[in-house]
Amino acid sequence: MKTKMILKILIGVIVIGGGLGYFTFQAMQSSWSYYYSVDEFSANISDMNNYSFRIAGRVKPGSVNRDLQKMNLTFTLAGTKTEIPVLYEGTVPDNFTDDIEVVVEGRLDENKSFKAKTLMTKCESKYKAKVE
Amino acid sequence: MSGLGNFALLLALFLSGYAVVIDLLGSLRGDQGLIKSARNATVAYMACLSVAMIALWVLLVKSDFAVIYVAEHTSRSLPLPYKISALWAGSAGSLLLWLWFQAVFLVMVYCKSEFKHRSFSANARMIANLVSVFFLIILNSDKNPFELSTVAPVDGMGLNPLLQHPAMVLHPPILFVGYAGFLITFAWAFGRLKTADEDNTLPLLKQAQRWAMFAWLFLTGGIVLGAWWAYEELGWGGYWAWDPVENSSLLPWLTATALLHCFRIYNRRSSIATWTVLLSILTFSLCVFGRFLTKYGLVSSVHAFPNPGLGILHVVLLIHVWVIAGVLLLRNYLRKKKDPPNARIPSNRFVILNNWLLLLLALVIFVGTLFPFLSKVFIKIIESLSTQAGPPRAPVTLAPEFFSKITAPGGLFLLLLIGLCPHLLRSGFNKSWRIILGVIAFAAVVTVWLFTCSLDSARPSDISQAIGWWGQWLLSGSPAIPCFILSGFVLVNLLADFVGYKVKKSPRNLRWYGARIVHLGVAVMFIGIAGSGGYAMEKTVAMRVGDKTNIAEYELTFEDLKVEHGRNFTAVAADISVHKSEKLIAQLKPAKAFYNASKKNVSEIDIRRTLAGDLYLALTEVDNSQKLINLHIMIKPLINWIWIGSFVMVLGTLAVMLSSLKQKAITAKDN
Repeated sequence: MKTKMILKILIGVIVIGGGLGYFTFQAMQSSWSYYYSVDEFSANISDMNNYSFRIAGRVKPGSVNRDLQKMNLTFTLAGTKTEIPVLYEGTVPDNFTDDIEVVVEGRLDENKSFKAKTLMTKCESKYKAKVE
Repeated sequence: MSGLGNFALLLALFLSGYAVVIDLLGSLRGDQGLIKSARNATVAYMACLSVAMIALWVLLVKSDFAVIYVAEHTSRSLPLPYKISALWAGSAGSLLLWLWFQAVFLVMVYCKSEFKHRSFSANARMIANLVSVFFLIILNSDKNPFELSTVAPVDGMGLNPLLQHPAMVLHPPILFVGYAGFLITFAWAFGRLKTADEDNTLPLLKQAQRWAMFAWLFLTGGIVLGAWWAYEELGWGGYWAWDPVENSSLLPWLTATALLHCFRIYNRRSSIATWTVLLSILTFSLCVFGRFLTKYGLVSSVHAFPNPGLGILHVVLLIHVWVIAGVLLLRNYLRKKKDPPNARIPSNRFVILNNWLLLLLALVIFVGTLFPFLSKVFIKIIESLSTQAGPPRAPVTLAPEFFSKITAPGGLFLLLLIGLCPHLLRSGFNKSWRIILGVIAFAAVVTVWLFTCSLDSARPSDISQAIGWWGQWLLSGSPAIPCFILSGFVLVNLLADFVGYKVKKSPRNLRWYGARIVHLGVAVMFIGIAGSGGYAMEKTVAMRVGDKTNIAEYELTFEDLKVEHGRNFTAVAADISVHKSEKLIAQLKPAKAFYNASKKNVSEIDIRRTLAGDLYLALTEVDNSQKLINLHIMIKPLINWIWIGSFVMVLGTLAVMLSSLKQKAITAKDN
């Protein structure tokens, strides 16, 4: 009786754990990205080609260029010491301007320029926390 | 005025601290005088918070910009309703509001039922006041809404224009009523752990159940309103982005849903009793933790370890709570061992299953939300696991797809469980109905399958290919189709249940109908989620005046660009006419508004709504001189059923609550 019970529990754990593990693996594969600041990213830029990244930095004043005809946006993401050029095609958040903290997510292209898939601004209503 | 507010907050801190200590002493010594004094202190504490609320409101309406909070969230030209709602626009004010709701509920419940259940109330009040003490310390130091600036600005920064929307005015208070409502069940759980669980505490259990339902209702409403706001206002066409703020409200919702099912079958001699207590504590803990997570940059900060400052008090509070709960549980367990073993009764397996499922979902979302933080902690382990020479230490974030993928199977399983519900309950419908249902469900599955296959251009040529498709479709395909099938299954079953229910022991009443209506709402909502998630279409186009573009069966023409002036904003609106098979069906005006006080741009979207789906237009970029726009066009099939479904859920919950209040009135009459 007792071994039957243990067997039951064991099978249950394997089935649920396996299923959960499989789904977690599947889901993680496509959504995994490393989170860097601009300076950390630039320091390691040589071996960054094959990964998806999220980079936090500041929009360099005067670097923003919107092309309405091609529907893209280019700007320079600046850290304290280094900076990277960013190309973004997509909906630009309303509160995107010069000199604010943003997070971009995407990959490096061949010319070491960053092609962003998403562009996130730190929305004041939500992230009121002081950024050091 | 700010002095008064400050004083009221300090006094409130003193009073709630006093109440904790005196309640503890009183219940240890069994001294009724002390317990009474603690009760009075709690009432006074509520009064102090009310004074602080009024003081802040006066400052906001008077536009006293010497107060930092007022200057940061309002401006002179802001309309009065938004000045009033600015009380909860910032994190300090919203904490005050949350705390005030908690105090009011606490006084309503555990300072009133004093005479019958004095010691129970004292214990419940003690833990509730402990929570208040922690929150008040934060409010008095870290997040003080009455803090003065050295130089008062001439005008304030104005309310974030994104928040100038009716849904956003209502969303936070509704959510906070929910969070604060769970304090009551939380406090009940401690009272129940501390006090011997006798039959005479049954009214308190019923009361906790009603409060859980009340809080759940508001939490549901708040979440849906937030989602609706995101859809209407943020301009990206979605309603749920799985960001930490949203997740932190969904987590307590999931555990609270499990809790409601536990309350339903509560029996003090079954294992469900402990479950109920634990879920009550967990739900409120998640509310508190969610606040910490979102207000202190725990996951949004890129820094290796963000410095939460006094926010760490949230964690300290939770540790206190769980240590106390753990000690009490252990004590009760050791006592219970002496009971005869046959005194325990088994609980409903399906409710247990539902609980596990909801908790598992909550756990996955919890881990996913905290992943950036956890990965900072376990960075070395992750490094050693990856065999490739990857980039060095960096925290890992998970994109929203992670959450949608991982919650889909769980959500589908929940739907299946809801659909099976009438079959599983012993008092459900009879055999002939079950056969009819089986046939209908089977027919529905086959129809949907054939239909979806025929939609695809490449049809399966023979049966083996078809079976292969079937397998692929189930394993790797979009979860939208199984979601439709299961939702249909739920609807068919529930409708059959309404018609074919065999009245045996318990006749149908308002509660019976209410519970099923809630489930009906869930199914309707899932149809909306599957439709808008699985079959959405979108594109962005650059257009000049006179340009045309096509999406699905619609033809859109950019007619004109106009400048409009509002009270505190200037807007540029594009005139778009929508044709469907040569017939004009709508004139839409998506716009971009510029708010003067906050110097911010806001996209004002425009939607053509039908029950079949929305045509959603957002103006992403405008160049007025060249008459050039970038237009984001989206088609969101069935999306309105999400809002309809949640409305049905709210109606169902109201019916259940009404029936439970009726029950209460009847028992009160009998006594």
